[in-house]
Amino acid sequence: MKRVLTTCTYCGVGCGFYLVSNDEGQLVGVEASREHPVAQGQLCVKGWNAFQFVQHPDRLKQPLIRRNGQLSPAFWDESMKTIAGRLKEIQRKHGNDSIAFFASAKTSNEENYLMMKLARAVFKTNNVDHCARLCHASTVVGLAQMFGSGAMTNSISCVEQADCILVIGSNTTEQHPLIGSRIVKAVRKGAKLIVADNRKIRLARLAGLHIRHRNGTDVALLNSMMNVIIREGLENKEFIADRTEKYEEFRKVVEKYPPEKGASICGVTAEEIVQAARIYAQAKNAMIVYSMGITQHTHGVDNVRSCGNLAMLTGNYGRPGVGVNPLRGQNNVQGACDMGALPNVFSGYQAVTDAAIRQKFEKAWGVEGLPDTPGLAVTTALDAAAEGKLKALYIMGENPMMSDPDQNHVRKALENLEFLAVQDIFETPTTQLAHVVLPATSWAEKDGTFTSTERRVQRIRTAIEPVGESRPDWRILCDVAMLAGYGGMKYDSPKEILDEVASVTPSYGGITFERIGQFGLQWPCPNKEHAGTPILHVGKFTRGKGVFAAVDYRPSVELPDDEYPYVLSTGRIYFHYHTGTMTRRSKLLDREERFPFVEVNENDARRLKIRDRQWVCVSTRRGEVKAQARVADVVPPGVLFMPFHFEEGAANVLTINALDPEAKIPEFKVCAAAIRSTP
Amino acid sequence: MKAYDETDLALSFQALGADYDVRVPILLSDGTRSLGRLEEGKMALAGGKLGAKPTSVFFPQMDLVFQQKGTNVRMQAPPSKPLMVVGLTAQDADCLAFLDRFFSTNFKDDLYRQKRMNSAVVVLSGKCGRDGEMLRLSSGNCDLELVFDGDRYLALAHSQTGKAMAEKMKGGLETDEISLGRLQRESKALPDDELKLLQRASSLLLDNKVPEDFWVDISNRCIACTACNLACPTCNCFDVFDWKCGDSCVNRYRLWDSCQLDGFMREASGHNPMGTEALRTRRRIHHKLAADVIRWGQMGCFLCGRCDEVCPTGIGIKAVSREMVEKYG
Ligand code: SF4
Ligand code: SF4
Ligand code: SF4
Repeated sequence: MKRVLTTCTYCGVGCGFYLVSNDEGQLVGVEASREHPVAQGQLCVKGWNAFQFVQHPDRLKQPLIRRNGQLSPAFWDESMKTIAGRLKEIQRKHGNDSIAFFASAKTSNEENYLMMKLARAVFKTNNVDHCARLCHASTVVGLAQMFGSGAMTNSISCVEQADCILVIGSNTTEQHPLIGSRIVKAVRKGAKLIVADNRKIRLARLAGLHIRHRNGTDVALLNSMMNVIIREGLENKEFIADRTEKYEEFRKVVEKYPPEKGASICGVTAEEIVQAARIYAQAKNAMIVYSMGITQHTHGVDNVRSCGNLAMLTGNYGRPGVGVNPLRGQNNVQGACDMGALPNVFSGYQAVTDAAIRQKFEKAWGVEGLPDTPGLAVTTALDAAAEGKLKALYIMGENPMMSDPDQNHVRKALENLEFLAVQDIFETPTTQLAHVVLPATSWAEKDGTFTSTERRVQRIRTAIEPVGESRPDWRILCDVAMLAGYGGMKYDSPKEILDEVASVTPSYGGITFERIGQFGLQWPCPNKEHAGTPILHVGKFTRGKGVFAAVDYRPSVELPDDEYPYVLSTGRIYFHYHTGTMTRRSKLLDREERFPFVEVNENDARRLKIRDRQWVCVSTRRGEVKAQARVADVVPPGVLFMPFHFEEGAANVLTINALDPEAKIPEFKVCAAAIRSTP
Repeated sequence: MKAYDETDLALSFQALGADYDVRVPILLSDGTRSLGRLEEGKMALAGGKLGAKPTSVFFPQMDLVFQQKGTNVRMQAPPSKPLMVVGLTAQDADCLAFLDRFFSTNFKDDLYRQKRMNSAVVVLSGKCGRDGEMLRLSSGNCDLELVFDGDRYLALAHSQTGKAMAEKMKGGLETDEISLGRLQRESKALPDDELKLLQRASSLLLDNKVPEDFWVDISNRCIACTACNLACPTCNCFDVFDWKCGDSCVNRYRLWDSCQLDGFMREASGHNPMGTEALRTRRRIHHKLAADVIRWGQMGCFLCGRCDEVCPTGIGIKAVSREMVEKYG
């Protein structure tokens, strides 16, 4: 028996637990850490089953190279030389920016840092990004502009200190279960809960007020709530005067949204808006919790700004139980952003356009001529590939065929590439299109750090030997760099990589393996004496004053019409995780949800003569998929909801590749769809 | 009767290691106490019940059932040495007895029984709870009991196996039975309001006095994490699955299951007799407090306290019983 303390590989809550392995080196279970500050001996169903997929027989065990159109087993040596050689060749032929690199929110901080270093220092391109583009790009842009930091302002422990919690666009008990459970407990202790989400999620059953506004009308809803707050004099005048700027411009826009107007845009009653405004504004400590329902829109950044505005208007910053809390969906999506796996910033959000910053990194990395213009994002890189402008793509642990909007477009883009390299732990629809596939180790087979949604940098630790010939991503990246002729990426362990991160990243300046210890450290942690920062913006905002943003409501890009009369919204479900590669290989999790499904309102179903569990066709202008109908009152009439985990009924065949102009995040939450029973 | 200090006990467990695969409470890296081998961590006898259920030694979360190669089926081999498990509480020992009966009546679970057979169980009781809190003395349903008097552990053998073990133990001071008597009295005087609460809840359920609404209300707070089942020493449900282990080779494993999951009772047709969260929540409590009473003549809960600790939303069996009794008498 061996028990190794590690951090959950699923959601961004960041629970700690022990992986248990037997004398034969097989993982046989999970044991809780009773002392862990977030988990406190508890986990959700994914955590309790997190060991399950690791040694699944489907694991990729050796490299694959495409020969005569077929992927066939290869040696590491040959595979690595092919990757470095082909990338160099394409760089020579088409220029630095003909290559893009996708890092991954599933891999460690150290690995994300190395991926961005590989892109920038070795291949001299800022074309590096990762799947945060698909989830919280809007948050990073919106909140950073307003406050100087795009992270969750408060800590998970603050949830139980709130008097009012506004949950907007987050199915918290399913997607961030151990934050959701704290909301449940807070409500039991008397906190007021407002849920703004048109699906009847579990929290809605406990909410004092459930607002079912139309998909994509969040700006109108929040503007109207703020209109009421100002009209009734419930705003925090002192806070506005002392700690914010641009209030007047903002107020003028909000004036245009009396509750009656909001109500008609949102499809709710004016009373509901007034009530929500009062409950939120009158609470001593009010907290906003949001997630993909806010961010995944062509106006995602505006949605985020509206959340930021609401909290500023009422002075809910900088103390326990308040704040704007964007919940990060993946174990290390916060960290991957922190590490600069983004096209416009180095680690710690240091801009590539800033000459002094570039100089600092050139010196640290021993290179010259780091690129100074922001590169392509995940979404725009695929567009560029489809247009033939991008020639090569190196993907670490991502599965865009399943995760990105409009699968046919993604397939065309990937097939159009001269060279595609993918490293992953399982075969996926994306590896199937690659020229070289490398087997990576899972999180249970390597050391490193993840940063959770509350900015807590925590350790993952090697629990078992690597499966087959798989290698940790960080080692693979170092070898690629070396083969590409760069000598500055040689490390003996992830610990050394994190030391380098600390030396070039102010917010991680005091974070080392030793200091992280058992339970982690919350950034900003600028030096070795600093104890970490549980709550941001205490006394003043990171950027000084908070800036109000004046934002108008803009409708979503593709609204229902006669041909496609339903709004299709996509997302995750409790038992599965993202593209399903792990949870669908975990017995209990997969047993719970075995089929792709689509939620249909019972009235719609009756009219369409669709029965519960019947197979139906859902189609949009992009394509058509089969799914089981789930008939209930979870979605309101006119709305369909589909999870995106299932290869055999991939919701992203249907979604629209329409992007927020600033954040380049796709509109996963709204497109027009039709539904019919299958013949 | 002999009394041992921790050094004596460590040496004794080491000596017993000649006959047994010994598991004792050890300190894990973050301070969590868990069952492990002596060489895997610092021994930590005191501190009360272990977080993970100790019955998992005999019935682990995931376990190989058999390997099939071609037409040849090989069951999991029995352990090479019998297990010796130190660190159950008196309540845990009651749970283990319940589990023993379950896995031996009607269907006989070979996998469990081959681990449990010839094993030795050592209960810790007396003043070795969290912060020296008094732990109830066992009813004798273990092989050996170590009763902590605040200074030393008094060794009480309850079976032939226990006697044989006691003879092989190292060190120890001969003491009279006065302090044991005192501890026994203290144990008897421990409050029993939790048991009374549970019994009251049990009769409410048996008398059908708890309406559906109650379960809807409780289940609205359940996030289906399954921890209440995974942590419970009397929970015994599992599912099986097969993994390929090469050409024409298959490993069959079993894995802890949970009645809080929709798929637990879902039939192949899709029909589910426990198809709502309220029904499943009701079952969890009803099974332990009513169904088991009817079937075995005793409740399936021995108040080990784990489900209340691991439930993220505070609806473990004690909390639910309390709410039930407050509402319906
Ligand atoms: S809440 Fe998130 S981090 Fe915690 S166990 Fe569940 S999936 Fe893992
Ligand atoms: S207290 Fe909970 S975990 Fe312990 S025996 Fe009773 S039901 Fe099981
Ligand atoms: S531990 Fe609590 S939340 Fe989890 S399944 Fe059991 S009752 Fe539900």
